[in-house]
Amino acid sequence: MTANALPLAELAPSLRPASTVMELERLGSFSPTRLSFARRLTRLMSDQGWRVSRSRFDLDDEGHGEAIYRLDTPAGHYHIVVFSQHLEDAQRTDRVIAEAWDVTFGLVEGEVDEALMSSLAANVPLQEAGRQHPRLLVISRANKSVRNFQAFVAALASGEQPNVAYLRESGYLYRTTAVYGNGKFGIADYDRLRQGADFQHPFSAQMAAIYVLREFSVEQVEHMARCREPQQMVPLAAPIRRYLGIGNSTGLGMAPFLINHPQLISQWVLARERALALAVSQSPDEASRTRLLALCRRALAYLSETAIEDATQTARNQVAREELQQIDAWLEQLPLEDNSWAQLSEWALTHLSLETQELVNTLLIELYPAQVDALDDAMSVYEKLDLSPDMPLVQLKQIIETHFDWAIQEDYSDHEARYWFWYQSAEKEEPRLGVRGQEAGEEKELSLAVGPRVQRVYEALCAALEAGPRSRTIDLLMAHPEHMSIVRRIQTMANTEYGEIRANLWHRDMKPMHLLRAKLSFLGAHRFDPRGDRWVRVAFFQGAPMLSDFASAEASKEAFDDWSFPLAPEAPEQASSAA
Amino acid sequence: MKVSLNELQSVCRKAFLGMGFSEGHADDAAAMVAWMQSHGLDGLKALNDGLECVMASSTEGRPQMIYEDADLAVVDGRELSVLASGNLAMELAYTKARVRGLSVIKIRHCRQRQLIMGYLARLADRGMNVTAFWRHAQSPLTEQVVGFRARSNVPSIRVYQLEEQPEEDVPNDGITIVMANHVDLLPTVRSDDEYALLARLDESDLLAVHQQSLVEGISVDPDGWQQLKTLASQTLVEASEQSRAGAGPAD
Repeated sequence: MTANALPLAELAPSLRPASTVMELERLGSFSPTRLSFARRLTRLMSDQGWRVSRSRFDLDDEGHGEAIYRLDTPAGHYHIVVFSQHLEDAQRTDRVIAEAWDVTFGLVEGEVDEALMSSLAANVPLQEAGRQHPRLLVISRANKSVRNFQAFVAALASGEQPNVAYLRESGYLYRTTAVYGNGKFGIADYDRLRQGADFQHPFSAQMAAIYVLREFSVEQVEHMARCREPQQMVPLAAPIRRYLGIGNSTGLGMAPFLINHPQLISQWVLARERALALAVSQSPDEASRTRLLALCRRALAYLSETAIEDATQTARNQVAREELQQIDAWLEQLPLEDNSWAQLSEWALTHLSLETQELVNTLLIELYPAQVDALDDAMSVYEKLDLSPDMPLVQLKQIIETHFDWAIQEDYSDHEARYWFWYQSAEKEEPRLGVRGQEAGEEKELSLAVGPRVQRVYEALCAALEAGPRSRTIDLLMAHPEHMSIVRRIQTMANTEYGEIRANLWHRDMKPMHLLRAKLSFLGAHRFDPRGDRWVRVAFFQGAPMLSDFASAEASKEAFDDWSFPLAPEAPEQASSAA
Repeated sequence: MKVSLNELQSVCRKAFLGMGFSEGHADDAAAMVAWMQSHGLDGLKALNDGLECVMASSTEGRPQMIYEDADLAVVDGRELSVLASGNLAMELAYTKARVRGLSVIKIRHCRQRQLIMGYLARLADRGMNVTAFWRHAQSPLTEQVVGFRARSNVPSIRVYQLEEQPEEDVPNDGITIVMANHVDLLPTVRSDDEYALLARLDESDLLAVHQQSLVEGISVDPDGWQQLKTLASQTLVEASEQSRAGAGPAD
């Protein structure tokens, strides 16, 4: 039996241990893989023959107005409704506390009649301040990359293709600042999406909405160029279209999701680790060596041409570039053996930076689509933290010592170990970090730090066991009801493969950016560009096929599924060849 | 106005935290109210009608035991809301049923008894057969029986009126709950008794309402909703320049 025929369960021994994988800094080094949700969406659209058509495009010369795109899947139909408006420069901000945006949009289940359209027009542009319709599955908003937008319209109107150099710096025309799902502000609950066939997968509805916004962004600049110079205007060249993504600016608001959905995060990590175990267990051949070399070189080129502002991330990328060249040499010279991929992974673990280790893992996963893509469906889990009140306390103690050793070993009385506290600001109810003892709000601290809570219940549990060695969990909770929530979490997470993110979220050295990057990697975000320590810009779908590619008979499935680490197109030929 | 189930549960949770409930109790109380509301059982009305009682109960998370043995427990509800410590009392009964096969728990002198259904749903989902019984302190006398089948999180509910008033002097302000690990305990009202069936809700009725809630959203009274939002806002920290520093890029 070959490794790729093994049932997944039999791969369990080769999974990396939780103590390695769930370290926050490692999670904060993850790159998107082919299992990431953006990649999955384009595969699904291709496999199932999803169709997107424009059913309304009422924009004025400045690109302001309404557009509606119809999405048909084998199981249902949906509409993406876009509202574009004039925005004063002074109002254009990525801050979550903004109240107006260049475009707002939503993904609606079913038909959109005029009555629903009126309701959407009155509320979607208001975002959080609106009362949204229950048939909306997603709402979001985006601001223009003004420089790119103006340059694109001007170039196309004058019959030329825009300078690709602009895209190397940001990679998009629009940047979203929040993408809401799961019942926010009255939209549909995730429980409802789970009942349907199309958007059961986590964040799949959000990805679909963003994907269609990308299409809109191209059609909008072409429309504006056409209005400006109808005779001269040329459409955007296909390679540049594909290189356009949708940006996203995200901050601390994303961080609590990883703590509040521990089962889901554990499941995502498990799927990724299973994919890695599958890949590493394969016997390489010359074709896979050649493919891995090509992927390494593409990743290297991607890192080389990606301009980002953050000095720390720039340095990490620089190290990764140097280390990728070492891997390239290793791959060129290595006599292939059955366990060469395991050797590579092991060598990376002991010799290379975290950034490169996880980059290599991403590339290894990329090698085996036939085996790995089946894990797409393993990214979902029914989340439910359950108490086991009849569990003997001695067993609960053992669970904590086995799975939460990282939590009970920390000295939370140390100033550095209790430096930060998390709270929720009255402004849009967004989570924030404050310095304990210095900033207001400590008395309203959010209980996001799991470690200190585990240690507190552990101490109470040890005392209870001394008094009653045969006690059960319910006996502890009857005496200490305040521990109900964390006990429920401990008992549930002990049954998962990867458990909790292993970090003291109070610690002065804790980097919230790692939390953001971990989630963004699963979503499929590239071009990770931290701005300070609390927010980041990324891009989605850069390099992904456009809608026209799906309809094209020329493009093979493999050709347009292979869009990770997107590279800038060569400078295009001008107007004559672009149309 | 319409809200989503997630929104309802989230606002309730914050409101309970704002009232002073502990994390776990706030989670459970919110889930209880949201479960009731999404199944058409007026959880929000029960909450808002008894809000003073709930607020007075917020720091009373520990059930007060009157009697306990391996199979039975009697708890004093101290005229507090079942949202305060009903969850732990139910977990105690669940434990006894898991260990002994069957358990009975009585909560005396408790308020907002309907809301306990929201927690029983959770225990049933974890594989326990559950029946709850209580009498309403009114004339004529009515009884309510709620039965959950193991692995189903919706019950069958019967409310009926007794023709004859029993001669007794015991206040009708408690709940009796029976849990069985292995056998069904669904309510079946005997046909030869004299009673008037006032309400009958089967699992399918409640499932249909829940589905409707997911599709159309959940109707809530705007004033009651605003009251919850006000309570929830007590968990928020007033914005400052420091807090704005974490709100994304400076402009």
